[in-house]
Amino acid sequence: MFLTRSEYDRGVNTFSPEGRLFQVEYAIEAIKLGSTAIGIQTNEGVVLAVEKRVTSPLIEPSSIEKILEVDDHIGCAMSGLIADSRTLVDRARVEAQNHWFTYNEKMSVESVTQAVSNLALAFGDDDSEQAVMSRPFGVALLFAGIDKGGPQLYHMDPSGTFIKYEAKAIGSGSEGAQQALQDVYHKSMTLKEACKSALTILKQVMEEKLNSTNVEMSTVTAEKKFHVFSKQELEEVIKDI
Amino acid sequence: MAAVEGPMPGFSFENCIRNRHLEKIGHKAPTAYKTGTTIAGIIYKDGVVLGADTRATEDTVVADKNCSKIHYLADNMYCCGAGTAADTEMTTQMISSQLELHKLNTGRKPRVATANRLLKQMLFRYQGHISAALVLGGVDVTGPHLYSIHPHGSTDKLPYVTMGSGSLAAMATFEDRFKPNMEKDEAMKLVRDAIAAGIFNDLGSGSNVDICVITKDKVEYLRPFDEANIKGKREGNYGYKRGSTAVVSTEVKKIPFEVVATQVVSGTEAMDTA
Amino acid sequence: MEVLNNRGVEDYQTAGPKQSYFSPYSFNGGSILAVAGEDFAVIASDSRLSEGFSIHTRDQPKTYQLTQNTVVGACGFHGDVLTLIKVLKARIKMYLHEHNKDMSSTAVAAMLSTILYYRRFFPYYVYNIVAGIDDEGKGCVFSFDPVGSYEREPYRAGGSASSMLQPLMDNQVGFKNLPKQARVPLSKEEVVKKVRDGFISAAERDIYTGDEVVVNIITKDGVEVERFPLRKD
Repeated sequence: MFLTRSEYDRGVNTFSPEGRLFQVEYAIEAIKLGSTAIGIQTNEGVVLAVEKRVTSPLIEPSSIEKILEVDDHIGCAMSGLIADSRTLVDRARVEAQNHWFTYNEKMSVESVTQAVSNLALAFGDDDSEQAVMSRPFGVALLFAGIDKGGPQLYHMDPSGTFIKYEAKAIGSGSEGAQQALQDVYHKSMTLKEACKSALTILKQVMEEKLNSTNVEMSTVTAEKKFHVFSKQELEEVIKDI
Repeated sequence: MAAVEGPMPGFSFENCIRNRHLEKIGHKAPTAYKTGTTIAGIIYKDGVVLGADTRATEDTVVADKNCSKIHYLADNMYCCGAGTAADTEMTTQMISSQLELHKLNTGRKPRVATANRLLKQMLFRYQGHISAALVLGGVDVTGPHLYSIHPHGSTDKLPYVTMGSGSLAAMATFEDRFKPNMEKDEAMKLVRDAIAAGIFNDLGSGSNVDICVITKDKVEYLRPFDEANIKGKREGNYGYKRGSTAVVSTEVKKIPFEVVATQVVSGTEAMDTA
Repeated sequence: MEVLNNRGVEDYQTAGPKQSYFSPYSFNGGSILAVAGEDFAVIASDSRLSEGFSIHTRDQPKTYQLTQNTVVGACGFHGDVLTLIKVLKARIKMYLHEHNKDMSSTAVAAMLSTILYYRRFFPYYVYNIVAGIDDEGKGCVFSFDPVGSYEREPYRAGGSASSMLQPLMDNQVGFKNLPKQARVPLSKEEVVKKVRDGFISAAERDIYTGDEVVVNIITKDGVEVERFPLRKD
C-alpha cells in the first residue's frame, strides 16, 4: 500500500490505478488512534462502553463525552477525531427529529445510520457541490438503539459503510477487544452480562487502570430508553470485574 | 283619514335600508328556493306540449323532490316557470287573475299573446329583479302558440323553446329531433326526452317529468308523466325501538279541580233539526 | 362614510380602475365517509365529479389506495386532489426505499398532515380522510382539514354531503342519543350496510352526490372494493 500511494493520495476524490481512495483509507487508519469503544447487542437491549483518555490530572473528566444521545431510543459511541463526530451526530439528531415530525413514529436505527452515512460521503474538494466537508470524517460510530426490530447495533466507518453487529469494538484497542468479544459473546447474553463483559474487555485493552472516571457506559432498553450510567452505577459494575 | 289603512299596492321596500345595514354587520340574507330547472315546450300538429322536471333546490340541497312547475294561467293556457320559486309562483298567479278578469270583462277566451304581453310588461317593470324565466304555451282562437319569456321582459315566439339551467341539454334534444307537425305521441316523447336530458345532465334539475298537453278543447295535465328516478332503496331498518329516547326525570302532578255541576245523560236523543 | 341618498340606494358609480382576481380553485363536489371497526376500516365515496350545475363524469370515485392497508378519501378541488395523491404515492415509495418497510396507516396520516401544512398559505383545496389498520391491528380513521389539522376518530364524513352523513353516523355508528344497551361493536357487514344506506340517502338530497357508491373494506389482508348504484339525476 505505501509503495503506490505517492501521487494518488492528494485529492479526496481521486482513485489510485489500483482502485483505492487513499484519503478514505487514511481516515479509517485515524480511527485506530482513537480511544476504544465497545458495543454489545443483547435481547434485552444494547450497551455502549468507551474509554476516556484522561491525559492530565487537570482535565475535567466529565467534559470528555464519547457517548451521545441521538434520540430517546438511539445512542451513539465514537472513536477517532471526536470533533468530526459532532457534525455527524448533529445530522443523526436532525434526521431522527425530522422523521418523528413527518411520520409520527420513531426512526429505525438502520435508517438513522443510513442517513448519517450519506453525510459521511458528502466530502469533496470542488465547491460545485454543496459539500459539507473537504475531507473524509476521521471518526467511526457505533449506533445502538431499539426499534420495531428489537435492540440493534450498527457500526459506521469513514467510508460511509455501515454494518449491523452483535458486538463490535472500534479504536486503538479494537483488534484485541474484537477477539475478546467473539470469545465471550453468546446470543442469550443478558444485558447485565453484556455490561460486565464490555467493561472487562475495556479494562484489558486500556493502558490506564479502569475506574469510574475514565470510562463511559450507556444502555438502550425498551424500558429506560437511552440511559447513561452514573458514577455510582459504573462503580456497581466495576466492583464485580 | 281612514282608521285602518289598507295595504299599499305593489312591493314593500320599507326594510331595504335595515337589511342593507344587517348585511353590512355580517348577517347573511336568507336564500330563496330556486328551481334550478329544465322546462320546455313544443308546438305539434294539434296544439302545444309543455314539460318540466320536478326538483326544487336551495343552494346545493334538494328542497322539494316533486314540485310542480307547470302553472295554470287560464283554461287554455299553462306556463312553466324557472328561477326563484316564489317569483314564478306569484307572477303566474297574478297574471292568471288578470286574465280571468280580462275574460270576465270581455266575455272572450283570453289569447296567448295577451298573457305574453301581461307577463313581459310585469317582468320589464321590475328590471329583472323578479327572477322568473317562463315558457308560456296555449291554444286560442288563432291556434297554438308558444313563447319563452326572460326575467328582464324579452320574449321569443318559437315552435320549440327551453328554459332554466337544463335548457341547453333540453334544447340539444330538440335541435336533434324536432320537426313541425308531429303527432301527439311523438311530440310527448320528444318533450319527455328533452326534460330527461335536463334531469340527468343538469344538477339543478331532477326527479320526475311532468307534461301538459294543450289542444283546442282539451288539456291533459300529466303529473307525473314519467318517474325518471326511483327513490333509492335502503337495506337497513332505521326505525327506533320503543324506549330509545331517554327519560331524564318523571314527575306526577295532581290537577286540582272543582266539581261545578254534574249531569247524567241516558239514551240518545235525536238532534233538534227543527 | 356610507354614500346614501334619501331613497336608501347607493349613488351611481362611474367606471374607474378595477382590479381583477384570478381564482385558482374550483369545487368538484363528492362525498366521502369512513368508519373504523375493531379489526377493519371501511371508507366509501360516491363516483360523481361535477362543477357548478354540470357533471364532468359519473365514474370518478374519490378514494385512493396508498398502501396494502391504507386508503385515503380526498375531495374538493379535483386538480389538487390528483396532485396531492401523486405526491403521497411518491413519498410512500421513497419511504419504502429509504426505510425498507411499508408505511403504516398512522405514518401516512402524519405525513399527510405535514404535506398539507407545508402549503399553509396556498393550500391544497382538498378534504382528506385516511382509513386503515393501525400498528395494533385495529381499524383507524383520521380526518383532516385542508391545512393539515388532523385527528383520529371512530368515524367521519367529508365532502359535499358531510353535513347529512355525519349526524346519521353519529346516531347509527356512534350511538349518540341512544340508550347504553344499543352500543354494541358493529360487524363489517353492518358497517358496509349503514355506509351504503347513508350514501343512498345523501344522493336523495345533495345534488353533488350520486351515480355510484364505491365502498373500500380494509383488513390486515388488504382492501376489498364493492360498488353499488345511486340516483343519477
